[in-house]
Amino acid sequence: MDFDPYPDNRVVGTARVPSGPQRTAPPVPVKIIVAGGFGVGKTTTVGAISEISPLTTEAEMTMEGVGVDDPGQASSKTTTTIAMDFGCVTIDHTLKLYLFGTPGQTRFAFMWDDLVRGALGALVVVDTTRIDDCYPAVDYFERAGLPFVVGVNTFNGQLGYNLDEVRWALAVRDDVPIVQFDARFRGSVRDALLVVLDQALDKAMKMRS
Amino acid sequence: MRHPADPDDPEHPAAPGVRPYLRNTGPGVRYQPEPPPAPSPGPPPGSSGPPPGEQTTSLRPFVLTSGRVDGLDPNIGLETQVSSHPGALSARLSPEQRAIVHLCGEPLSVAEISARLRLHLGVTRILVGDLRAAGHLDVHVLENDFPDPETIMRVIRGLRSIS
Repeated sequence: MDFDPYPDNRVVGTARVPSGPQRTAPPVPVKIIVAGGFGVGKTTTVGAISEISPLTTEAEMTMEGVGVDDPGQASSKTTTTIAMDFGCVTIDHTLKLYLFGTPGQTRFAFMWDDLVRGALGALVVVDTTRIDDCYPAVDYFERAGLPFVVGVNTFNGQLGYNLDEVRWALAVRDDVPIVQFDARFRGSVRDALLVVLDQALDKAMKMRS
Repeated sequence: MRHPADPDDPEHPAAPGVRPYLRNTGPGVRYQPEPPPAPSPGPPPGSSGPPPGEQTTSLRPFVLTSGRVDGLDPNIGLETQVSSHPGALSARLSPEQRAIVHLCGEPLSVAEISARLRLHLGVTRILVGDLRAAGHLDVHVLENDFPDPETIMRVIRGLRSIS
């Protein structure tokens, strides 16, 4: 069986393994989750700020059998493979921010626990024309106690509803910020992420005291 | 004029008893399976698995992990940094493990390893755990579950400086 571990023909044989005490210490990784329904602009968001073009990894997700219409079936769980896009921003050589874009439109019972462990917070990207797509993500982050911010993606600068209406529709707590941003622009994504980081800082301060 | 039972003559097939695939097959022409279909983005609807004749180019995930499907170390996260030990390159390793060791000369996250080698994330985590247990990799596990305020402040300052 021919297995090609380097499917894109990258030459990895020349990679150097540094030896001795001068080996680079790895950066401390921190991560922010970018969640939301299909096609709301998660990958665009990640790509706008990432210093690398977004990479994709595949992960196995356990999906809860919802609407179990076959009671005869022994197991109501199925697994499915989902693609996850991610990017990164090097803050300095000792600190690196990762952004993981995760699908959240279906009720994945998830490996989200793995994903969320150690995360600073989440940006839930919302398209106001399909607002219910983000409900599972909001539900999950509320239960997990992860700081999150709702980011309404203004496609072409258009905001279908005002932010109060979005808050009403989502029924999130008053302390959950709702911001509007444009996923295509780095500055706009940066500002939305800074709101997430403010929330994370609040949480870290509370944990310390 | 051909003999009526000439197997080369499609008009006069060989006598009954000759199996179908031997008929219409002249000398020098060997039985060949149908050529594989033209590459298509996915299997045709209604079929399960790869179309007949198509070579599968990758191993099933559980083959790469010697049959294990769990036993993940929860400390090995997506963003966890991994770096190779010097000397790991001379060890006897599977092609996938070797590729991971090659890639991690400089520290790299588990998610990046998975994406660059096109290995399933779960498989990557298991292989990284194995390599760490065998002493070929350093897995830099963080002590704190949630970053401290100073770290977050540095991220904030770093992001603010992006224009």
